[in-house]
Amino acid sequence: MDTGRRTSPRIVLVHTATFRQARQFVPAMIPLVAATGLGGGTTTVVALVVGVTLLSLATAALSWWRFTYADGPASVVVTRGLLSRSVRTVPNDRIRGVEVEAGPLHRVFGLVRVRIDAAAGAADKDEELVVDGVSRAEGDRLRASVLTHRSTAPLSEDAEPAPEEPFARFDNRWLLYAPLVGSYLAVPMAAVGALMRLAQELPERFRPDLDGVHVSGVQAVVVVVVVALVVLVAGSIIGAAVVNWGFRLTRRGGSLVAARGLVTRRHTELEIDRIRGWTLSEGLGMRWVRAARVNALVTGLGDATRRGQLLPLGPRDEARSLGVRLVPEPGPLRQHPPAARRRRIVRAVSAGLLVTAAGAALTPLLGWWWVLVLGLVLLALGVPLGLGRYAALGHAAGAGAFAVRSGWLVREQAVLQRRAVVGWQVQQSPFQRRAGLASVTACVGAGRGGYTAVDMAADDVAAFAAAASEAWADELRPVAAPTG
Amino acid sequence: MTTTPAPVREPAWSLSRSAIGLWVTESVISSVILGVLAALVAIFVPSDSPGVLPELRWAAPAAVVLYAVVAIGVRPWFKHRVYRWEITQDAVFTRTGWLSQTWTLVPISRIQTVDVTRGVLQQMFGLSTVAVLTASSQGTVHIWHLESDVAQQVADDLAHRAEQVRDQAT
Repeated sequence: MDTGRRTSPRIVLVHTATFRQARQFVPAMIPLVAATGLGGGTTTVVALVVGVTLLSLATAALSWWRFTYADGPASVVVTRGLLSRSVRTVPNDRIRGVEVEAGPLHRVFGLVRVRIDAAAGAADKDEELVVDGVSRAEGDRLRASVLTHRSTAPLSEDAEPAPEEPFARFDNRWLLYAPLVGSYLAVPMAAVGALMRLAQELPERFRPDLDGVHVSGVQAVVVVVVVALVVLVAGSIIGAAVVNWGFRLTRRGGSLVAARGLVTRRHTELEIDRIRGWTLSEGLGMRWVRAARVNALVTGLGDATRRGQLLPLGPRDEARSLGVRLVPEPGPLRQHPPAARRRRIVRAVSAGLLVTAAGAALTPLLGWWWVLVLGLVLLALGVPLGLGRYAALGHAAGAGAFAVRSGWLVREQAVLQRRAVVGWQVQQSPFQRRAGLASVTACVGAGRGGYTAVDMAADDVAAFAAAASEAWADELRPVAAPTG
Repeated sequence: MTTTPAPVREPAWSLSRSAIGLWVTESVISSVILGVLAALVAIFVPSDSPGVLPELRWAAPAAVVLYAVVAIGVRPWFKHRVYRWEITQDAVFTRTGWLSQTWTLVPISRIQTVDVTRGVLQQMFGLSTVAVLTASSQGTVHIWHLESDVAQQVADDLAHRAEQVRDQAT
């Protein structure tokens, strides 16, 4: 096929620098290096560096040379492969989204990477076409071309670029919420962990001499704790800023475009037609300052937790109103019956009960009184935990949408359109049966794949399912006369 | 069996009796494996080892015997009462489980693929499983242990009807 387009040759430089293709040779080279030995000192090292760079350049150039892509009216074709050629054709109507991203090196060379997402389901993860290294303008053209060809409606060929209107604004001050979000807190911890490992692997003579410093006394402990806290807070804010800096959500024609990132700038496009709902998640710390994040639930979107983000962090009211503009909420949530509260508390307390029982047995036997204390503490904490978990439970069904909410560590409310439901699953354990409860999962082809109303009254199940999805769900209704 | 009425109705059709034979066979196999493990424990744990280890010498075989009685003597018949299925005008409806029960309802309009699988043991009893897949990773319905010709018929029928009423929305 001669019509194939090529990526920019500048990408060869980017890939040489990052050893993108040469990386796969590393496992093969280790025994080679080990066999020849590294005794030669500086010359060997220089030769090795030059050799690896040349190898990287060669592989990068080869793979650039053998890579072409073509976006036709019906499909996108990507051809590549050195010896065994692979031709990958993805019909346009299978394409669910296009992501344009530019890492720091790509930005230096004025290039972008286009990811075309054609995920079909959970089964095949690798349903993604990557065109790495086209100019920014070509990237935009490719994205627009792929997305407009896909729409089945007769095209207005005048190619009037759909006007962009801002859909949601992001205030960089909201990054200050980051220290209260678990996933961002993990960033500085991981960084500190990596540093520690590095420090351990440094040769002896490069290691700073810390033996002279003696940490003792209350003051020192306080200083250490304060420093650790500052590092944690600052690190999480920086981590959140790197990913989310300048977050912008705009509406362009039939899609939402989210752009974000300080170092690597990423543009993700979501088709509004495919948005089936949204989730509002509030972690424990976020609830404390009334912050939340919003994710769109989009059918067939791969890597949805990252790509679906509509608001990575922000005040809850802003977050909620953003979601409501996409899919309106069905109304206030209905609380679950008191039996559900009992069940939550029993479940939260059971771990404590077990440990307490073990403690009661072990204290006279082995004198392990601390097991008993631990059990009692767990027991005492279980009650508020159970109450908190119960307070999170709720469900509602309205005219066009329904909502379910659960979770304590991260409380998540999902709001979904009725048409999103592709199946219902009702679960009942013997305990739930005795308490007259059941858990109902709405299966949807978006997000996690299913959203559950935990422990709702068993009598409400059929009515809720019927109200929250289309006519077929009436099948669930119990027959009027109970059968043996 | 139930103290309160079920949350949703019961699917109409039950499985053939051969399913019981299959479940018994499965339980016998797992009991034998567990029994071998328990025997190994009884042989190799010395009776004078410290702590609670010597208790294992009789506790492990006892637990296996208990498991075998329940799994072979009770569970297959229990399961046969719980496992039910039905294909209605516009949905596939199943109930599975044992102590905990799961009802699954999937509309035919949202079916994406229909698979028929036949395991080694299932073949001995002439049974097959029909798996109905939707766009949701959690929305898969398995109709377990149908007679093979019924399973094939059901799968063909579902695939055919799904083709006609497919809803492109998802």
